Amino acid sequence: MDPDPTPYPLPPEPLPMDRPALLAALRARIGRLERAGAAAALARSQAGVVSLSESIDAHLPGGGLARAGLHEILAAEPGAAAGFCAVILGRTAGPVLWIGPDPDAWPPGLVRFGLSPADLVLVRAPRPTDGLWAMEEALRCPAVGGALLTLSDLDLTAARRLQLAAEAGGALGLLLRPDTEDPGPSAALTRWRINALPGDSGSPHKLGDPRWQLDLLRCRGSTPRTWTVTWRTTTDRLDTDTDTIPAATPRRRRA
Amino acid sequence: MPPSLRGINECRGPGSFKLPGGGAGAEPPQTAPATRRHLALALPRLAVERLGPGGPVLVWRGVGSRREVVAVGGVEGVRAGQALSDAQAIAPEAQAVEEDAAAEAALLERLALWALRFSPLVSPSPVHGGGSGWGPGTPALLLDITGATHLFGGEAALLRRVVAGLAGLGFTACGVIAGAPGTALALARSGGAGIIPPSEEAAAVEDLPLSVLPIAPEVVTALSRMGLRRIGEVRRQPRGPLARRFGAATLRALEEAAGEVSAPISPIRPPPDFSATREFLEPLITREAIDIAVAALLRALCRRLEEASRGARRVVLRAHRVDGAVQEVAIGTGLAVRDPAHLGRLFEQKLERLEPGFGFDRIVLGAEATEAMTGLQGGFVRGAQETEDLARLFDRLAQRVQVWRLAPAESHWPEREVTRVHATAGVLVPQDWPRAVRPVRLLRRPLEVSAMALLPDAPPSLLRIGKVGHRVRAAEGPERIEPEWWRARPDRPGRDYYRLELASGVRLWVCRSGFGAEARWFVQGRL
Repeated sequence: MDPDPTPYPLPPEPLPMDRPALLAALRARIGRLERAGAAAALARSQAGVVSLSESIDAHLPGGGLARAGLHEILAAEPGAAAGFCAVILGRTAGPVLWIGPDPDAWPPGLVRFGLSPADLVLVRAPRPTDGLWAMEEALRCPAVGGALLTLSDLDLTAARRLQLAAEAGGALGLLLRPDTEDPGPSAALTRWRINALPGDSGSPHKLGDPRWQLDLLRCRGSTPRTWTVTWRTTTDRLDTDTDTIPAATPRRRRA
Repeated sequence: MPPSLRGINECRGPGSFKLPGGGAGAEPPQTAPATRRHLALALPRLAVERLGPGGPVLVWRGVGSRREVVAVGGVEGVRAGQALSDAQAIAPEAQAVEEDAAAEAALLERLALWALRFSPLVSPSPVHGGGSGWGPGTPALLLDITGATHLFGGEAALLRRVVAGLAGLGFTACGVIAGAPGTALALARSGGAGIIPPSEEAAAVEDLPLSVLPIAPEVVTALSRMGLRRIGEVRRQPRGPLARRFGAATLRALEEAAGEVSAPISPIRPPPDFSATREFLEPLITREAIDIAVAALLRALCRRLEEASRGARRVVLRAHRVDGAVQEVAIGTGLAVRDPAHLGRLFEQKLERLEPGFGFDRIVLGAEATEAMTGLQGGFVRGAQETEDLARLFDRLAQRVQVWRLAPAESHWPEREVTRVHATAGVLVPQDWPRAVRPVRLLRRPLEVSAMALLPDAPPSLLRIGKVGHRVRAAEGPERIEPEWWRARPDRPGRDYYRLELASGVRLWVCRSGFGAEARWFVQGRL
């Protein structure tokens, strides 16, 4: 949702000197306005967020990737993006639906990233409208932990519908899209770009653990950020190697 | 002329064969409930009537190099078995149409579905050899009407109603009701019509020619050379020599016709465990009317299921159209269900496929697969609500898209490491599964690439995908997988799998199929 230029009415009492406190109060108020439906759904689930790693959780509002919400993932490298999605979905601790025109998710590999075949259900929706419908049905179901939809284009209305469906059901929704020049506006809570990095094994005979570059491109209630992380296969942990604030967003969109 | 070809143009009326006791068409004495009753309907003119009303028609079939007339419609002086050229010389105005056995079989099946309104057990009798006229090949329908006759006011009334119904659809039918299906079929296929009282089957078929029985024509010829042309004459012969000379099948056909043994009929649709039916005086045409009718039927069906403590896994809706066509819509559920609202939601989209045409005059809803289901009380069993919610979600999704799970399977061949199972099926993951690192995405079609290695059998150091070359930073492998010899193609080449990391960080699962000069490289997945 692009913010409207009309400001929110300020409280009538004189401006308190504690500006950070005021900002926090306003943020909370906007959050309540925007995610009114999610409160009830979140009350049902034990935790409102899916934890990724310490430094990422600290940066995200709420201390993790919010459940009952929609998150957009741009796959700069399809394998790395699938791995990152599996990490998130595996941590929702519930049944997961992988929806796409031709879902190529392969459980023997995804199990390395913590997504068990016992939780994974694949849905083949050849037409985009079928995919959106299936995603909405899945997100509205309170028994579903997470749902992923692979698609190329998404209009704002459809994304908003999915966001409202996720708020009603309480599931975590992921939109997996190919990385394009202009991803367009989005109703999702966050937008990530996932790229693969060369491993740090130092040996040409060993691949080592997968390393990814995670770009948080936009996030409601926080700022863009870039992390390089390593997925530790043995301990099922996401270790942060570097944590940088991008010097400038690659292409500023008019607010 | 064989007697089976007589009366080809019209069905002989009731009483054309002699009944030892009681007149044909008369109400038989009250039968004991244990005896079964069968109605056989022979449709001798199906090949012609299939084409609809029209001018004179000659239906022919190629027999060797000869074109032989098999059915005649509206032409005088032509009989089945004549050469088509002779027939066309007699009746030059008649249209010649080639016989279409597949279309006739499909039509017979449609008529069998139509006949489901009289009995849940209906079987189209196979069209073999003949296709038309009188004989063992006459298309026929067999209905098990045991216990269903009182709904129509007795056997005679039912018979009249069925024959009149078929006549309304434009088909000539000869109906015979008898205790044994073989008797009823033999009599109907010989052109008879009427009702055989119980335990008089053997006497009723006494005078029938052998050619109406499903016996090989050579056997019929051989028996007739001995002067045995009627069923009664053959049945008076000693059984032992008869069976030795002509086979047990001949004897069995004779016993079935005489009602001594009764072959079970294989119904065209399994009779539903529970069903709800509604007939409409004014045919339903609009979607709203159909929705209301289906909702009412679902409520009735679910009430019956609840009384029996069962839930439906598969529900079929059969809409009978005014013109005799029957349309079917089926839904399946993951868990046993008897909630009309949920079933209604599953039917909602599928009902769009119905084509009412001039309207439906009868809608039947049948639960074909049911499971025991005790009333669940929510709130006590933890997770029960989630399971039900999830099963209902999968039911809804499965009406429009494909839904499945992939369960680990016992195979090392990459494409067979997992198998598709139903979305509600439980998936057990073995402790050390998978045994090696596998891709997160498996390409549906492997991508052929060219690879360059420093040494033969060494991992590739350069990978060319399309026209772009990629330097390989690190490689793990090879992991050799041999084809499974017990499968269909055990001679396919073995594969060497490598896990590669390109300089850009992209990880690929690459395999070399074949060895030496025949080696081909494929990218099969992304790690």
